[in-house]
Amino acid sequence: MARLRSATDLGKKRQSILSRRDPSKPCVTICSGTGCHALRSDQVAEAFSREISSNGLRAKVDIRRTGCHGFCERGPIVVIFPEETCYLGIKPEDVPEIVSTTLVKKQLVERLLYKDAEGKKVALEGEIPFYKHQRRMVFGSNRLIDPKSIDDYIALGGYSALAKALFEMSPEEVLQTVKQANLRGRGGGGFPAGVKWETTRNAPGDIKYVIVNADEGDPGAFMDRSLLEGNPHSVIEGLIIGAYAIGSREGYVYVRQEYPLAVSNLTVALKQAHGYGLLGKNILGSGFDFDVIIHRGAGAFVSGESSALMTAIEGIVGEPRPKYIRTAVSGIREKPSNLNNVETWANIPLIIDKGAGWFTSIGTEGSKGTKIFSLVGKVNNTGLVEVPMGMTLREIIYDIGGGIRQGKKFKAVQTGGPSGGCLPESLLDLPVDFDALTEAGSMMGSGGMIVMDEDNCMVDVARYFTEFLADESCGKCIPCRAGTEQMVTILNRICDGEGESGDIELLEEISEVVQDASLCALGQTAPNPVLSTIKYFRDEYVAHIEQKRCPAKVCKALISYYIDPEKCTACGICLRNCPVEAISGGKNLVHVIDQDKCTKCNTCFEVCPTRFDAVVKISGEPVPAAVPSGTEMVRKKGKQE
Amino acid sequence: MARGNARSRSRKGSSSRGARGASKTAPVKKARGIKGIDNPLSESVLVSVSDKLGIPVSQISHVVETIGEVAQEASDTDEIVKEYKADKSALIQILLEIQRQSRWLPQDVLMSVCEKLGIPLSRAYRIATFYKAFSLIPQGRHHLSVCMGTACHVRGAPRLLDRVIDAIDIKPGETSPDEKFTLETVNCLGCCALGPVIVLDGDYHSNPSPKELEKLVTACD
Ligand SMILES: Cc1cc2nc3c(=O)[nH]c(=O)nc-3n(C[C@H](O)[C@H](O)[C@H](O)COP(=O)(O)O)c2cc1C
Ligand code: FES
Ligand code: FES
Repeated sequence: MARLRSATDLGKKRQSILSRRDPSKPCVTICSGTGCHALRSDQVAEAFSREISSNGLRAKVDIRRTGCHGFCERGPIVVIFPEETCYLGIKPEDVPEIVSTTLVKKQLVERLLYKDAEGKKVALEGEIPFYKHQRRMVFGSNRLIDPKSIDDYIALGGYSALAKALFEMSPEEVLQTVKQANLRGRGGGGFPAGVKWETTRNAPGDIKYVIVNADEGDPGAFMDRSLLEGNPHSVIEGLIIGAYAIGSREGYVYVRQEYPLAVSNLTVALKQAHGYGLLGKNILGSGFDFDVIIHRGAGAFVSGESSALMTAIEGIVGEPRPKYIRTAVSGIREKPSNLNNVETWANIPLIIDKGAGWFTSIGTEGSKGTKIFSLVGKVNNTGLVEVPMGMTLREIIYDIGGGIRQGKKFKAVQTGGPSGGCLPESLLDLPVDFDALTEAGSMMGSGGMIVMDEDNCMVDVARYFTEFLADESCGKCIPCRAGTEQMVTILNRICDGEGESGDIELLEEISEVVQDASLCALGQTAPNPVLSTIKYFRDEYVAHIEQKRCPAKVCKALISYYIDPEKCTACGICLRNCPVEAISGGKNLVHVIDQDKCTKCNTCFEVCPTRFDAVVKISGEPVPAAVPSGTEMVRKKGKQE
Repeated sequence: MARGNARSRSRKGSSSRGARGASKTAPVKKARGIKGIDNPLSESVLVSVSDKLGIPVSQISHVVETIGEVAQEASDTDEIVKEYKADKSALIQILLEIQRQSRWLPQDVLMSVCEKLGIPLSRAYRIATFYKAFSLIPQGRHHLSVCMGTACHVRGAPRLLDRVIDAIDIKPGETSPDEKFTLETVNCLGCCALGPVIVLDGDYHSNPSPKELEKLVTACD
């Protein structure tokens, strides 16, 4: 690889890459992100490679493995350029037909296209409703890039923002641009990035660090991972620009060990950037030196917190410290250290390239730009969605997400990760931005958006998050360590049907202490899941405590399974599948569940064919007595009666 | 890579060094770095050593294998520490590398790392017990992770976990006594669309039924 020694070199490089590429040449792109990989997209890619060779198309068709496109629900995703024909849910068996029909005859394979609710087929990726309502500025390049190829990134104009910053702007100008863009941190707090940069820049000392937070501790989000896996250069470019503005020569990427693909793609990307002279000494001949080290996080939620992350980089257990002095002033080895989230960094090249005015034209008054959410749970189209700030929850869940699965009723949406909150149906028209979410008792957090339907119990959800946080509390301060533990005890008690009146008030009281007295934001926000569910779903708590009833029929101790003798056809499916042999019955005999043996594993409920729907869950009422023996014959319509 | 495999096998064996007789009569594995036993020992050499010392062949092969493993382990640890320039602040990275290769952190290895870095053993243990990535006991041959991430939770991960516990009879964080399975719960695996999901030795399975689980489990040796 030849080093690029000037901005002109970079421009020439780009021209030479483009001149070797024919935009009209067909290119099959196969999503190889984590979701599609889990659905065996590697086999699909191999099948394409085989099939293209055996059809003698090797020289006429390119193959590219890209990062996540976002629509993981329908993976593996294949998009064929230049038409951008999008095929969903591709199996290796489908590949010969795609090659012979689309690549050879230039026709569509109708059955593999997206079908909308009315059965209308959509051929172009961008026309699919899931994508149509999005605005994918940060995440959109994923589908065009092989993350292991720096040339793919440069071909799209990559690193030109860096060249612009280095040669056309002073560090102060870069800083001012980011400040004017009012880019707020995407990792949780929403703190203005430019203000933080300025603090580090102005802090005394020659050695300063810039850091990418790719710990992504939120147990229900994967956008940072998908960005880093799918477009690592965008994050690196942002980081170099930040380093230039702040006056740092050394950067870190703190990425979790559990993301091996992100680590490996990032490693390759750093090496390539080095090879081109975009990292290391005298970047692009500008005289600016900068290098990046990868630090793998060993898995602890609290290590994503800024001061904890920095001690982890020093090789010490990552526990937070009180922040009388900000990490921006005294961080790694007590040097000024600026930490930003993956998505924050990935926004920087766009802002430098297109200007602060362009960026501020998108979004709401206080929150500019877009945000990537991981829209998951009980919604039809799960995946990663990038939307302008200010879009309403309803638009995200219904227009992009396609509404609730299986026609069920929406109950709540949880945003903000473990320390976020649950918002009810009445708030569906809330515009999503930093301030509106916080005001509603939730938060933006890292962008998790978990949709829940009538089958989800809000007390159980509160317990899930509180348990997670109690588990992840580092234990350094008592309010967080003991407080969350006590909250879990009370929530367990409520879910187990042993809740006492006064428990709700007790939860609220403990919450207040934990919020006020905890050392770091983990504890300070830990009561959010409990408080927001009490605020919006208090009746569910009351039902658990006073009527010993779980309205969503989730809490095991409060539900029973029962087979409706009117509906049972004695098909034997539940009987055969019951793991504890709690179901009795036989040919033509109504099946009966032995309540003493039943472990409430839900298997019978799941396997009973929907056309019978004979297994019912009940809560808060006694199980009807079994049919007296002798009369348990199945009444088959027209036969027995 | 072949070397990586040999390493992990060797250190895994070392877990029960002495307690569990390895192969009784099979040719002795290559013991790198020890003069004279650099190559697999032939049957005839083993027999003649056994004659001279008056101990059974199986015991000799076991001793040789153990020496080889210890030497291998020491040199592997050396290499990793060297790779990070014996830098104290790289302790977490060093331990991650050892964990990756051996799938656990044996005490003797921790002691040797701390010696080389000039830090107290307690610091290594503090890290090893704080972070989830580390294990202080040997891991099973098959690794089963159940996703307990939020998206999987709301789609019934707790019930799936119960089913998995039923199927392999160990709890999260445990390894079966025959070292066949290690069960672990993890957070979002990035494929929420498949949720609830389990990963068995790198393969993803979406909400397997008790029957399907049984099939998966019996297919493991
Ligand atoms: C307990 C805890 C966990 C956190 N985990 C993460 C994380 O995984 N990723 C992240 O980017 N920020 C995380 N944060 C927020 C960081 O402390 C920090 O605010 C953020 O990385 C700054 O980047 P930003 O300004 O670009 O958002 C966490 C905060 C707390 C209190
Ligand atoms: S991994 Fe393929 S779309 Fe997300
Ligand atoms: S929560 Fe299980 S894969 Fe995302």
